[in-house]
Amino acid sequence: MILTGPTIRREVQSGRINISPFRLEHVTSNSYDLTLGPGFVRYTEEIIDPAKPNRYHTFHAGPEGIRLGQGDFLLGHSAEVLGSDHYVPIIHARSSVARLGLFVHVTADLIDIGSHGNVTFQLFSTLPITLTPGMRIGQVSFWKPLGKVELYRGKYQGSRGPRPSEVYKDFWSDTDKR
Amino acid sequence: MRGLGQLTIEPFDASQLNPNSYNYRLGPKLGIPVFAADGLEFEFIELPEEGYVLKAQTVYLGHTVERLGSNYFAMSLIGRSSLGRLGLFLQVSANLGHTGSCHQWTLELVAAKPFRIYPQMKIGQISFWTNAGHVDLYREGYSSFDDPQVSKLL
Repeated sequence: MILTGPTIRREVQSGRINISPFRLEHVTSNSYDLTLGPGFVRYTEEIIDPAKPNRYHTFHAGPEGIRLGQGDFLLGHSAEVLGSDHYVPIIHARSSVARLGLFVHVTADLIDIGSHGNVTFQLFSTLPITLTPGMRIGQVSFWKPLGKVELYRGKYQGSRGPRPSEVYKDFWSDTDKR
Repeated sequence: MRGLGQLTIEPFDASQLNPNSYNYRLGPKLGIPVFAADGLEFEFIELPEEGYVLKAQTVYLGHTVERLGSNYFAMSLIGRSSLGRLGLFLQVSANLGHTGSCHQWTLELVAAKPFRIYPQMKIGQISFWTNAGHVDLYREGYSSFDDPQVSKLL
Protein backbone atom coordinates (compact mmCIF):
# COMPACT_ATOMS: atom_id res chain seq x y z
CA MET A 1 0.00 0.00 0.00
CA ILE A 2 1.29 3.45 -0.89
CA LEU A 3 1.21 6.32 1.61
CA THR A 4 -0.69 9.49 0.81
CA GLY A 5 0.81 12.97 1.18
CA PRO A 6 -0.96 13.72 4.49
CA THR A 7 0.23 10.36 5.88
CA ILE A 8 3.82 11.07 4.79
CA ARG A 9 3.58 14.39 6.67
CA ARG A 10 2.17 12.69 9.76
CA GLU A 11 4.79 9.93 9.75
CA VAL A 12 7.64 12.46 9.39
CA GLN A 13 6.23 14.33 12.37
CA SER A 14 5.98 11.09 14.40
CA GLY A 15 9.55 10.10 13.45
CA ARG A 16 8.60 6.93 11.55
CA ILE A 17 9.88 8.52 8.34
CA ASN A 18 13.14 10.46 8.31
CA ILE A 19 13.33 13.35 5.79
CA SER A 20 15.75 16.11 6.71
CA PRO A 21 15.45 18.96 5.97
CA PHE A 22 11.66 18.61 5.61
CA ARG A 23 9.61 21.24 3.79
CA LEU A 24 5.83 21.04 3.89
CA GLU A 25 5.53 22.44 0.37
CA HIS A 26 7.46 19.43 -1.05
CA VAL A 27 4.67 17.02 -0.05
CA THR A 28 2.56 15.88 -3.03
CA SER A 29 -0.50 13.57 -3.25
CA ASN A 30 1.58 10.39 -2.94
CA SER A 31 5.20 11.49 -2.64
CA TYR A 32 7.75 14.00 -1.40
CA ASP A 33 9.88 16.05 -3.83
CA LEU A 34 13.65 15.58 -3.49
CA THR A 35 16.21 18.31 -4.12
CA LEU A 36 19.49 17.94 -6.03
CA GLY A 37 22.63 18.37 -3.89
CA PRO A 38 25.88 19.98 -5.09
CA GLY A 39 28.18 16.92 -5.34
CA PHE A 40 28.71 14.74 -8.44
CA VAL A 41 30.75 11.70 -9.45
CA ARG A 42 31.90 10.84 -12.94
CA TYR A 43 33.51 7.49 -13.79
CA THR A 44 36.69 7.84 -15.83
CA GLU A 45 37.04 4.21 -17.00
CA GLU A 46 36.76 3.35 -20.69
CA ILE A 47 34.92 0.12 -19.80
CA ILE A 48 33.01 -0.31 -16.55
CA ASP A 49 33.88 -3.63 -14.89
CA PRO A 50 31.73 -4.47 -11.85
CA ALA A 51 34.25 -7.09 -10.65
CA LYS A 52 36.85 -4.36 -10.00
CA PRO A 53 36.93 -0.88 -8.46
CA ASN A 54 36.20 1.68 -11.22
CA ARG A 55 38.08 4.99 -11.18
CA TYR A 56 36.08 8.19 -10.85
CA HIS A 57 36.41 11.82 -9.95
CA THR A 58 34.25 13.85 -7.60
CA PHE A 59 33.31 17.50 -8.18
CA HIS A 60 30.91 20.16 -6.98
CA ALA A 61 28.62 22.30 -9.12
CA GLY A 62 28.31 26.02 -8.51
CA PRO A 63 24.99 27.86 -8.52
CA GLU A 64 25.14 28.00 -12.35
CA GLY A 65 24.79 24.20 -12.38
CA ILE A 66 26.32 21.60 -14.68
CA ARG A 67 25.63 20.77 -18.28
CA LEU A 68 25.03 17.14 -19.21
CA GLY A 69 25.41 16.11 -22.82
CA GLN A 70 23.31 13.53 -24.62
CA GLY A 71 24.12 10.08 -23.19
CA ASP A 72 26.07 11.37 -20.16
CA PHE A 73 26.09 9.28 -17.01
CA LEU A 74 26.87 10.85 -13.61
CA LEU A 75 26.06 10.19 -9.99
CA GLY A 76 24.42 12.97 -7.99
CA HIS A 77 22.72 13.00 -4.62
CA SER A 78 19.72 14.32 -2.77
CA ALA A 79 20.20 17.32 -0.50
CA GLU A 80 17.92 15.52 1.96
CA VAL A 81 18.80 12.70 4.32
CA LEU A 82 16.10 10.08 3.84
CA GLY A 83 15.07 6.76 5.33
CA SER A 84 12.50 4.77 7.27
CA ASP A 85 12.49 1.72 9.53
CA HIS A 86 8.75 1.30 8.87
CA TYR A 87 8.15 1.92 5.16
CA VAL A 88 9.94 1.12 1.91
CA PRO A 89 10.95 4.25 -0.02
CA ILE A 90 10.88 4.13 -3.83
CA ILE A 91 12.45 6.94 -5.80
CA HIS A 92 11.20 8.40 -9.06
CA ALA A 93 12.06 11.29 -11.30
CA ARG A 94 9.71 14.23 -11.22
CA SER A 95 7.65 13.94 -14.34
CA SER A 96 8.80 17.43 -15.41
CA VAL A 97 12.39 16.16 -15.37
CA ALA A 98 11.54 12.88 -17.10
CA ARG A 99 9.80 14.86 -19.88
CA LEU A 100 13.25 16.34 -20.56
CA GLY A 101 14.68 12.85 -21.06
CA LEU A 102 16.55 12.57 -17.77
CA PHE A 103 16.71 9.34 -15.78
CA VAL A 104 17.38 9.90 -12.06
CA HIS A 105 17.93 6.22 -11.34
CA VAL A 106 19.08 3.35 -13.51
CA THR A 107 16.26 0.85 -12.80
CA ALA A 108 17.23 0.65 -9.09
CA ASP A 109 14.41 2.61 -7.54
CA LEU A 110 13.87 0.50 -4.42
CA ILE A 111 15.49 1.76 -1.21
CA ASP A 112 15.93 -0.89 1.46
CA ILE A 113 13.89 -0.48 4.61
CA GLY A 114 16.25 0.75 7.35
CA SER A 115 18.65 2.46 4.95
CA HIS A 116 19.22 6.11 5.94
CA GLY A 117 21.31 8.69 4.08
CA ASN A 118 21.46 10.96 1.07
CA VAL A 119 19.98 9.19 -1.95
CA THR A 120 22.50 8.64 -4.74
CA PHE A 121 20.91 9.67 -8.03
CA GLN A 122 22.02 7.71 -11.10
CA LEU A 123 21.74 10.47 -13.70
CA PHE A 124 21.48 9.44 -17.36
CA SER A 125 20.55 12.14 -19.85
CA THR A 126 19.06 11.26 -23.21
CA LEU A 127 19.08 14.96 -24.21
CA PRO A 128 21.42 17.82 -23.25
CA ILE A 129 20.25 19.27 -19.93
CA THR A 130 21.46 21.72 -17.26
CA LEU A 131 21.11 20.60 -13.65
CA THR A 132 21.23 23.13 -10.83
CA PRO A 133 21.84 22.28 -7.18
CA GLY A 134 18.66 23.01 -5.24
CA MET A 135 16.32 22.08 -8.08
CA ARG A 136 13.53 19.63 -7.32
CA ILE A 137 14.71 16.68 -9.38
CA GLY A 138 13.06 13.59 -7.94
CA GLN A 139 10.36 12.31 -5.66
CA VAL A 140 10.09 9.55 -3.12
CA SER A 141 7.04 7.44 -2.35
CA PHE A 142 6.60 5.20 0.71
CA TRP A 143 5.19 1.66 0.69
CA LYS A 144 3.98 -0.54 3.52
CA PRO A 145 5.91 -3.83 3.85
CA LEU A 146 4.27 -7.24 4.32
CA GLY A 147 5.88 -9.57 6.89
CA LYS A 148 8.65 -9.40 9.44
CA VAL A 149 11.11 -6.55 8.86
CA GLU A 150 14.87 -6.99 8.85
CA LEU A 151 16.51 -3.59 8.57
CA TYR A 152 19.20 -2.75 6.03
CA ARG A 153 22.77 -3.13 7.25
CA GLY A 154 24.53 -2.86 3.89
CA LYS A 155 27.57 -1.06 2.62
CA TYR A 156 25.85 2.19 1.59
CA GLN A 157 24.35 2.90 5.04
CA GLY A 158 24.69 6.53 6.17
CA SER A 159 25.73 7.85 2.73
CA ARG A 160 26.53 11.54 2.41
CA GLY A 161 26.99 12.89 -1.12
CA PRO A 162 27.05 10.65 -4.20
CA ARG A 163 28.22 7.11 -3.36
CA PRO A 164 29.99 5.24 -6.17
CA SER A 165 29.33 1.51 -6.50
CA GLU A 166 31.17 -0.84 -4.15
CA VAL A 167 29.84 -3.96 -5.84
CA TYR A 168 33.41 -5.28 -6.43
CA LYS A 169 33.64 -5.96 -2.65
CA ASP A 170 31.08 -8.74 -2.78
CA PHE A 171 30.81 -9.35 -6.51
CA TRP A 172 31.41 -13.08 -6.11
CA SER A 173 29.89 -14.53 -2.96
CA ASP A 174 31.45 -17.41 -0.98
CA THR A 175 29.10 -19.85 -2.64
CA ASP A 176 30.42 -19.03 -6.11
CA LYS A 177 32.79 -21.57 -7.58
CA ARG A 178 35.43 -19.11 -8.67
CA MET B 1 6.43 -16.52 1.85
CA ARG B 2 8.71 -18.92 -0.03
CA GLY B 3 8.48 -21.33 2.93
CA LEU B 4 4.69 -21.18 2.62
CA GLY B 5 4.90 -22.15 -1.03
CA GLN B 6 3.47 -18.84 -2.15
CA LEU B 7 6.41 -17.96 -4.36
CA THR B 8 9.15 -19.74 -6.31
CA ILE B 9 12.83 -18.85 -6.35
CA GLU B 10 14.80 -21.81 -7.69
CA PRO B 11 17.69 -22.21 -6.93
CA PHE B 12 17.45 -20.22 -3.69
CA ASP B 13 20.39 -18.91 -1.65
CA ALA B 14 19.60 -17.05 1.59
CA SER B 15 22.71 -14.87 1.12
CA GLN B 16 20.96 -13.24 -1.87
CA LEU B 17 18.08 -11.91 0.25
CA ASN B 18 17.76 -8.15 0.82
CA PRO B 19 15.41 -6.42 3.28
CA ASN B 20 12.70 -6.17 0.57
CA SER B 21 13.91 -8.15 -2.43
CA TYR B 22 16.00 -11.06 -3.71
CA ASN B 23 19.08 -10.65 -5.91
CA TYR B 24 18.80 -12.80 -9.03
CA ARG B 25 21.68 -13.91 -11.22
CA LEU B 26 22.48 -13.58 -14.92
CA GLY B 27 22.04 -16.81 -16.90
CA PRO B 28 24.50 -18.11 -19.52
CA LYS B 29 22.78 -17.00 -22.76
CA LEU B 30 22.96 -13.53 -24.24
CA GLY B 31 21.14 -12.11 -27.26
CA ILE B 32 23.15 -9.57 -29.24
CA PRO B 33 21.29 -7.20 -31.58
CA VAL B 34 22.17 -7.49 -35.25
CA PHE B 35 20.90 -4.94 -37.72
CA ALA B 36 20.20 -7.04 -40.80
CA ALA B 37 18.96 -5.78 -44.16
CA ASP B 38 15.40 -6.85 -43.34
CA GLY B 39 15.41 -5.45 -39.81
CA LEU B 40 16.52 -6.23 -36.29
CA GLU B 41 17.56 -9.73 -35.25
CA PHE B 42 19.20 -11.14 -32.13
CA GLU B 43 22.13 -13.52 -32.30
CA PHE B 44 22.56 -15.73 -29.23
CA ILE B 45 25.89 -16.62 -27.61
CA GLU B 46 27.02 -18.39 -24.44
CA LEU B 47 28.58 -15.84 -22.12
CA PRO B 48 32.29 -16.60 -21.63
CA GLU B 49 33.64 -16.98 -18.06
CA GLU B 50 35.91 -13.95 -18.51
CA GLY B 51 32.87 -11.82 -19.27
CA TYR B 52 31.52 -9.98 -22.28
CA VAL B 53 31.61 -6.22 -22.89
CA LEU B 54 28.27 -4.62 -23.76
CA LYS B 55 28.43 -1.65 -26.11
CA ALA B 56 27.07 1.55 -24.61
CA GLN B 57 23.39 2.36 -25.07
CA THR B 58 22.44 -0.81 -26.92
CA VAL B 59 19.86 -3.34 -25.78
CA TYR B 60 20.91 -6.94 -25.17
CA LEU B 61 18.67 -9.82 -24.07
CA GLY B 62 19.70 -11.98 -21.14
CA HIS B 63 17.83 -14.22 -18.73
CA THR B 64 17.80 -15.07 -15.05
CA VAL B 65 19.48 -18.19 -13.66
CA GLU B 66 16.55 -18.61 -11.29
CA ARG B 67 13.02 -19.69 -12.03
CA LEU B 68 11.01 -16.89 -10.44
CA GLY B 69 7.28 -16.71 -10.00
CA SER B 70 4.19 -16.65 -7.81
CA ASN B 71 0.49 -17.43 -7.99
CA TYR B 72 -0.14 -15.07 -5.05
CA PHE B 73 1.98 -11.99 -5.66
CA ALA B 74 2.73 -9.68 -8.57
CA MET B 75 6.43 -9.14 -9.14
CA SER B 76 8.75 -6.33 -10.01
CA LEU B 77 12.13 -7.09 -11.61
CA ILE B 78 14.56 -4.21 -11.42
CA GLY B 79 18.32 -3.60 -11.34
CA ARG B 80 20.51 -3.49 -8.25
CA SER B 81 21.61 -0.14 -6.88
CA SER B 82 25.24 -1.32 -6.97
CA LEU B 83 24.97 -1.81 -10.75
CA GLY B 84 22.67 1.17 -11.32
CA ARG B 85 25.48 3.23 -9.77
CA LEU B 86 27.63 1.90 -12.62
CA GLY B 87 25.02 2.73 -15.26
CA LEU B 88 23.50 -0.69 -16.03
CA PHE B 89 19.77 -0.63 -16.82
CA LEU B 90 17.83 -3.88 -16.25
CA GLN B 91 14.40 -4.09 -17.89
CA VAL B 92 13.55 -1.18 -20.15
CA SER B 93 10.63 0.32 -18.20
CA ALA B 94 8.74 -3.02 -18.28
CA ASN B 95 9.50 -4.28 -14.80
CA LEU B 96 6.10 -5.78 -13.94
CA GLY B 97 5.93 -9.56 -13.57
CA HIS B 98 2.37 -10.86 -13.77
CA THR B 99 0.86 -13.08 -11.08
CA GLY B 100 0.86 -16.68 -12.28
CA SER B 101 4.01 -16.62 -14.39
CA CYS B 102 6.95 -18.74 -13.28
CA HIS B 103 10.10 -19.17 -15.39
CA GLN B 104 13.57 -17.84 -16.05
CA TRP B 105 12.82 -14.23 -16.94
CA THR B 106 14.11 -12.51 -20.04
CA LEU B 107 16.22 -9.50 -19.08
CA GLU B 108 16.72 -6.39 -21.17
CA LEU B 109 20.16 -4.96 -20.49
CA VAL B 110 21.25 -1.44 -21.52
CA ALA B 111 24.52 0.05 -20.27
CA ALA B 112 25.13 3.80 -20.16
CA LYS B 113 28.86 3.18 -20.77
CA PRO B 114 30.65 0.08 -22.14
CA PHE B 115 30.12 -2.53 -19.44
CA ARG B 116 31.54 -6.00 -18.72
CA ILE B 117 29.00 -8.61 -17.66
CA TYR B 118 29.76 -12.08 -16.31
CA PRO B 119 27.61 -15.23 -16.28
CA GLN B 120 26.24 -15.96 -12.79
CA MET B 121 26.73 -12.37 -11.57
CA LYS B 122 24.05 -11.03 -9.21
CA ILE B 123 22.55 -8.61 -11.68
CA GLY B 124 19.13 -7.52 -10.48
CA GLN B 125 16.52 -7.80 -7.77
CA ILE B 126 12.93 -9.03 -7.63
CA SER B 127 10.29 -7.80 -5.19
CA PHE B 128 6.83 -9.29 -4.54
CA TRP B 129 3.63 -7.27 -4.22
CA THR B 130 0.28 -8.08 -2.64
CA ASN B 131 -2.67 -8.06 -5.06
CA ALA B 132 -5.92 -6.25 -4.37
CA GLY B 133 -8.91 -8.02 -5.93
CA HIS B 134 -9.54 -11.31 -7.73
CA VAL B 135 -6.43 -12.82 -9.35
CA ASP B 136 -6.66 -14.17 -12.92
CA LEU B 137 -3.44 -16.16 -13.34
CA TYR B 138 -1.25 -15.20 -16.30
CA ARG B 139 -0.59 -18.29 -18.41
CA GLU B 140 0.17 -16.94 -21.84
CA GLY B 141 2.60 -14.86 -23.83
CA TYR B 142 6.16 -15.07 -22.62
CA SER B 143 5.34 -16.67 -19.29
CA SER B 144 6.46 -20.21 -20.05
CA PHE B 145 9.93 -19.62 -21.53
CA ASP B 146 13.30 -20.04 -19.82
CA ASP B 147 15.61 -18.89 -22.63
CA PRO B 148 15.84 -15.19 -23.49
CA GLN B 149 12.81 -14.44 -25.67
CA VAL B 150 12.92 -11.98 -28.54
CA SER B 151 9.98 -9.60 -28.84
CA LYS B 152 6.98 -11.11 -30.67
CA LEU B 153 6.71 -7.79 -32.51
CA LEU B 154 9.80 -8.67 -34.57
